[in-house]
Amino acid sequence: MDTNIVEVINVTREVAWLPWAVQYFFLIGLSVGGVLLSLPGYAFAREEWRATGRVALLVALTCGLAAPVALLSDLHQPGRFWHFYVVFRPTSWMWWGSLIIPFYVAGLLVYAWTCLREELREHGAVDSRLAPLYRLAAAGGGRNDALIRAAGLVALAGAAAVVLYTGAEVAVVRARPLWNTPFLPVQFALTALAGAAGLVLILNRFAGADRAVEVRVNRVLAATLAAVMAVGGLWLALGLSGIEPTHAEALGSVVGSEAWRVTAVWAVAATAVPFAIALARPSGTGLLTGLIAVHSAWMFRWTVFIGGQSVPKTGAGFYEYALPAGPDGLLGIAGTAGLWLFLLLVITAIVPTPRRPASGPVRAAPAAGRAVAAAE
Amino acid sequence: MDRSRRNFCLGAGAAAVGAAALAAPPADAAAARKGGDPANRWAMVVDVRKCVGCQACTVACIMENAVPANSFRTIVSTYEVTEGGRAGTAMLPRLCNHCEDAPCLPVCPTGATFQRRDGIVVVDNTVCVGCGYCVQACPYDARFINHETRTADKCTFCVHRVDAGLLPACVETCVGGARIFGDLNDPGSTVSRLVRTQAPKVLKPGQGTDPRVFYIGLDPNLEGKVEGTPTLWRPSARPHAHAPAAKEHA
Repeated sequence: MDTNIVEVINVTREVAWLPWAVQYFFLIGLSVGGVLLSLPGYAFAREEWRATGRVALLVALTCGLAAPVALLSDLHQPGRFWHFYVVFRPTSWMWWGSLIIPFYVAGLLVYAWTCLREELREHGAVDSRLAPLYRLAAAGGGRNDALIRAAGLVALAGAAAVVLYTGAEVAVVRARPLWNTPFLPVQFALTALAGAAGLVLILNRFAGADRAVEVRVNRVLAATLAAVMAVGGLWLALGLSGIEPTHAEALGSVVGSEAWRVTAVWAVAATAVPFAIALARPSGTGLLTGLIAVHSAWMFRWTVFIGGQSVPKTGAGFYEYALPAGPDGLLGIAGTAGLWLFLLLVITAIVPTPRRPASGPVRAAPAAGRAVAAAE
Repeated sequence: MDRSRRNFCLGAGAAAVGAAALAAPPADAAAARKGGDPANRWAMVVDVRKCVGCQACTVACIMENAVPANSFRTIVSTYEVTEGGRAGTAMLPRLCNHCEDAPCLPVCPTGATFQRRDGIVVVDNTVCVGCGYCVQACPYDARFINHETRTADKCTFCVHRVDAGLLPACVETCVGGARIFGDLNDPGSTVSRLVRTQAPKVLKPGQGTDPRVFYIGLDPNLEGKVEGTPTLWRPSARPHAHAPAAKEHA
């Protein structure tokens, strides 16, 4: 029997996870991806990966330091963050996250220090008023591959924990079929790696445009995007076939929406286009593929979080969402991006990205000129 | 014992006998409960056949609990249902279901959300950090972030009134007597009798949450996420964004 229902009165629920959450998941994902891309060159001392690792380390550091600020801002009572640390709540993935984030960030800082120690020592060897500070920061040592490897493995453990908790935190929400899929943690991880590769390509373009790095990372990007498309295709196949009810319900909740269809086409294009470019012409296209890949990683998270929360759990149709201009919206997004840029400037001012492999001699440069050199 | 609004007497002679066919809470969930009297298990039965959609309950809840503008702990969702050429209006009062296996509880990272031993799910808004995880986990869209307290908010069965021996405000004000509140642990209570004899339904039974808000006369089309044409008017903080085309945002 044909049934037609018109919803006359119902409530609109606003998003509870704000654009701050999108920024957090984006930045922490890129940071984890940066750690992964830095490991071959540093922790496993593969010299051909060293220059790539240096840029990836910058991605890991800048994004990893900015991400917790965005997460804290997503709490509606940020001053109460310490409440996480006075209880034992192992049933909550978010509680586990409150332990994992400090572990990851601390591990990342130690790992970055071991990686950059060699450069710090070299800066300390030149005639500069800051030389004593660099020598102090280097703690009297230089490159120590065993220490880098140990710290790298700790950072890797932290990164794995971040991937696990960020994915599980969202995927366990049974109330949202779009989130409640084991594919989501995998998709978060893969798109994070693609986004990190994209940011490496962008930074590489502005810090020397090393062709070898560009080709290498474009290949990583192509392989990652291929995996992203494969996993996305599997999710879609499960939803269309109806084999698994949750996936069918998830697809069914958005398939009738014109906006979601446009978003899907956009997402496919933002994955397939950089994949094709990176595969066909890995050299000379890094800026383009990088920008699209970063955009794609951010957009995936925006669609999952903001788009996902616009699907009512009980009501008909979709909830409205309009991006506020203030801290809970555009200003928050811009502010987080500004924080990331600030961190990039500070870190590249202190340890400018070498134009040659990190193991080579480092030219002394005035402090004021370093940031410019890094930003060129 | 009658738990209707005309004859409500709390805590007197409540027998610790569970209503038939109602599952007990998971052992770990039961152990984590605190506060309230375990002799009671508060519940609500909503007879949607008696609801006239007047929204008196919605207003009473707002006044009783100082719910901020554009937020709702309860609302009567109203639908026009056309079936077999016949059109009718269907009411569905929505509120927190105070589930026996509430998915909002385990996700809370601070323990601010907890269940009392009488089954009422509450939020300690002096502990809540406003992370919104419980809002995501609730399958009924019953929770929201209160813009004034900046913490999670929801129906509490008017716990302050219940503790004082009064009915929840929505029950007290219901003109049609559609909302019936009482103790499931008391086999003589009206809610126990209705649950035993009327085979009431719950919302989204597939979620396995074991709600303690029951519905008599519930249209099966409204049991889960309603598939239909979106509302023409919704209370919203952004009244300007009402064009139908603007309702879809991915």
